[in-house]
Amino acid sequence: MMLSALILIPLLGAVIIGLVPLKGKSPRNIAIVTAISVLAISLILGSQFDLQQPGLQFAENIPWIEWIGLNYHLGVDGLSFPLVLLNSLLTLIAIFSTSTTIARPRLYYAMLLLLSSGAAGAFLAQDLLLFFLFYELEIVPLYFLIAIWGGAKRGYAAMKFLLYTALSGILVLASFLGLVWLTEASSFDYLSLRSHTLPLNAQLLLLAPLLVGIFIKIPIFPFHTWLPDAHVEASTPISVLLAGVLLKLGTYALLRFGVGLFFDGWVYLAPWLAILASVSALYGASCAIAQKDMKKVVAYSSIAHMAYILLAATATTRLSMTAAVFQMVSHGLISAFLFLLVGMVYKKTGSRDVDVLRGLLNPEKGLPVTGGLMILGVMASSGLPGMVGFISEFLVFRGSFPIFPIPTLLCLVGTGLTAVYFLLVINKVFFGRLTEGLTQIPPVKWKEHAPAFVLLLLIIAFGIKPDWVTHWSELQAITLLTNG
Amino acid sequence: MVGISVKRSKSLLIEQYIAKLERGEALLDDSSQNLVEVVGILKSYGVVLDAYSINLCYIANTQFLKLFPLFKYFNGQINPNKVAKFVWHDRLNYEYAEYCMKAMFWHGGGGLDTYLDTPEFAAETERLVKAYFKYNPLMLALHKAFKDFLPEQMRQMAYYSALGQFWRVMSDIFLNLSDSYDRGEIKSIPDVVKFILDGLVADATRPITYTVEVRGQEFDIIPKAAGLTFLADTAVPYVEAIFFRGTPFTGTVSYNAQAYEIPYDPGMFNYGALYADPLPIGGAGIPPTLLMQDMRHFLPDYLRQLYQHQSIRGTGDIRVQICESFQKSMFCVTTAAVKGLAPYPLDTQNSEQQAANRKYLKGWLNRILESQLVKVNSQIQTELKPV
Repeated sequence: MMLSALILIPLLGAVIIGLVPLKGKSPRNIAIVTAISVLAISLILGSQFDLQQPGLQFAENIPWIEWIGLNYHLGVDGLSFPLVLLNSLLTLIAIFSTSTTIARPRLYYAMLLLLSSGAAGAFLAQDLLLFFLFYELEIVPLYFLIAIWGGAKRGYAAMKFLLYTALSGILVLASFLGLVWLTEASSFDYLSLRSHTLPLNAQLLLLAPLLVGIFIKIPIFPFHTWLPDAHVEASTPISVLLAGVLLKLGTYALLRFGVGLFFDGWVYLAPWLAILASVSALYGASCAIAQKDMKKVVAYSSIAHMAYILLAATATTRLSMTAAVFQMVSHGLISAFLFLLVGMVYKKTGSRDVDVLRGLLNPEKGLPVTGGLMILGVMASSGLPGMVGFISEFLVFRGSFPIFPIPTLLCLVGTGLTAVYFLLVINKVFFGRLTEGLTQIPPVKWKEHAPAFVLLLLIIAFGIKPDWVTHWSELQAITLLTNG
Repeated sequence: MVGISVKRSKSLLIEQYIAKLERGEALLDDSSQNLVEVVGILKSYGVVLDAYSINLCYIANTQFLKLFPLFKYFNGQINPNKVAKFVWHDRLNYEYAEYCMKAMFWHGGGGLDTYLDTPEFAAETERLVKAYFKYNPLMLALHKAFKDFLPEQMRQMAYYSALGQFWRVMSDIFLNLSDSYDRGEIKSIPDVVKFILDGLVADATRPITYTVEVRGQEFDIIPKAAGLTFLADTAVPYVEAIFFRGTPFTGTVSYNAQAYEIPYDPGMFNYGALYADPLPIGGAGIPPTLLMQDMRHFLPDYLRQLYQHQSIRGTGDIRVQICESFQKSMFCVTTAAVKGLAPYPLDTQNSEQQAANRKYLKGWLNRILESQLVKVNSQIQTELKPV
């Protein structure tokens, strides 16, 4: 029941916060307790996880609506566990980084927990239809979280997000329905569907809509346009979850279903997908250079870095698949870290414009700790040794280079550009003389930076000791590639 | 057209400030907040200057010709406790005093600079070197080979001593000013200026001398006969070097010569204390940070409370606030110096004297108005209740 607890506890928390007329800090406190409970369960799950067993663990399988083939089938393996843990951690961090004076707190925290529950369900679902339900479930709270607590153009951004991701869901569902229809399977159970092997043409026919749906979610160029708008308009905690967890639903689905269910079709398309990954990486990096909004820089950086996961997945080697999982964790931590810091700059200065902000490293009147952390975040994102970004990118490029050398080299150029656009931001925003209008910035309290410090600790720890992440997914990588 | 309008507005501003000075006012606007800031900061500055002065004189009198004066900041009291405090940086930053000394040394000016190039100084230094290294043939040989090295070191020591003596006087003036303010005798910025001016005038002819001793034998490096005096030979060069030309505040701004940010005439280039941008204070490698750090320990309660309330960060950005107050106080010292050096009393009714004064003031104001003065005076200030 531990896996169900990961879904039901936040769901229960959301229901309590949403329905019970709580006042003051109670909604926040309940949300914190809920998130801590979920994180604790995730850690217990990790402590009991058998690293030598490549298949599903802690499986729960309850028949649900049998006549349509839907079962409540949950399970966790080396592919999903790191993401479940990431989801638990980032949910707690998102709650802590939310302002204590946020408007309509009951609705906000209820939506946040519902989002967490949906994401956990999607990572744990071993039934394609169940995955789809959770995949869709998280769209609703996220829509409200952007539409209600977002920035000036929140309505536009939320609607764009909704339309894109709803389309993504439809395409994914179409692929799943087609798979069940063509295999004449009696259920949507992932493991039983995996045992069927369709002809290449049929695989390509089903893989195409699945890939487009997933590429919207990740997002990969040219399906990406919803992401910068969503990030810019979303509040900081929501950007943290969006970049850290929700984009990972796309890459998770890519590995789990794209590679896992349509392996022949995947291998057939891999060279083209590798090229698309390199184009997306270079496009994301180039756009990031041109941005004036710090948040947009991080958002476009996300597009570039998520493309590395696609590149690694196309290589379909043990190392590259391990790298893909590592890059998911790495990007989840680093992007969440960067969004927290950009959010802090915005909260204190009221601006994210790199043409307005100057000299924020001023030790007396600026944001020196935020600036220092930002520099560390940039180092991590640029793949400097000693941090998680270096290991993940090194693994990706090492794993994919023997298979697709040219796309890998192009992605390497993209990673070089990471340093360019982030250093431009750092140089403009944090160095030089403090802008005249910013001489009365409120100071940042240490507890405001606590979530960022937690992420930094993990970014450095996994950079020094990468096997803390890789040992979860190494065996699972083989399972994905060898059909068990 | 723009250039003409700028020139017009500057000359208008000069006229306004001349009228202000002739009315007996100061360069700095008179307000209760300015008064609290200026007196409060000068009190802490007085304490710090006292310590700097003692150390500069100690170095000049006992550390001369020492090639490695490792314990020069200890004033002769070397014990494990003081060494531990020094290493832990729980101390006054005497380095700042040395920055100022070097600024004066490099910029020169005044009778001291001239005297240090005289044959009398050279002869006395030569005697001193021979006596000091009497039992050190290696150093004497090196001195013969590099005959400018040790005299140059003694020139620097002469500046240590001169600045120490100058700050001795200034420290006393500032501490007495604070005492007068506490007694309710100082009620406005012009009162502050008058007090400083009186102090400067009282010590104007105080002789500046420098004598060292080697094995019981005295050497008059700057004898009384050289005729160097407090006001003309230390105060004026100090104001020129530290307030106008600067070195302690350099490094806070980069200048691009190709963009004509550096004047064609280097003499027009000013970046002293009066011109400094207080915002970078607190950053690594910004020397005035040391002075602000030192003054932070000796702030009177009323000034600390003011800082606490006037910034959103409370005392979190205290070093910048101290620097802003310090700059205001230096405008008062500058006013006193300008008044003290004026050819005639500024309130004279004689038209010829007035014309001479105005010509003199224009020269000063042309430079001063390029500083932070206009910006400081344009800041909106909260009126405080009388202390």
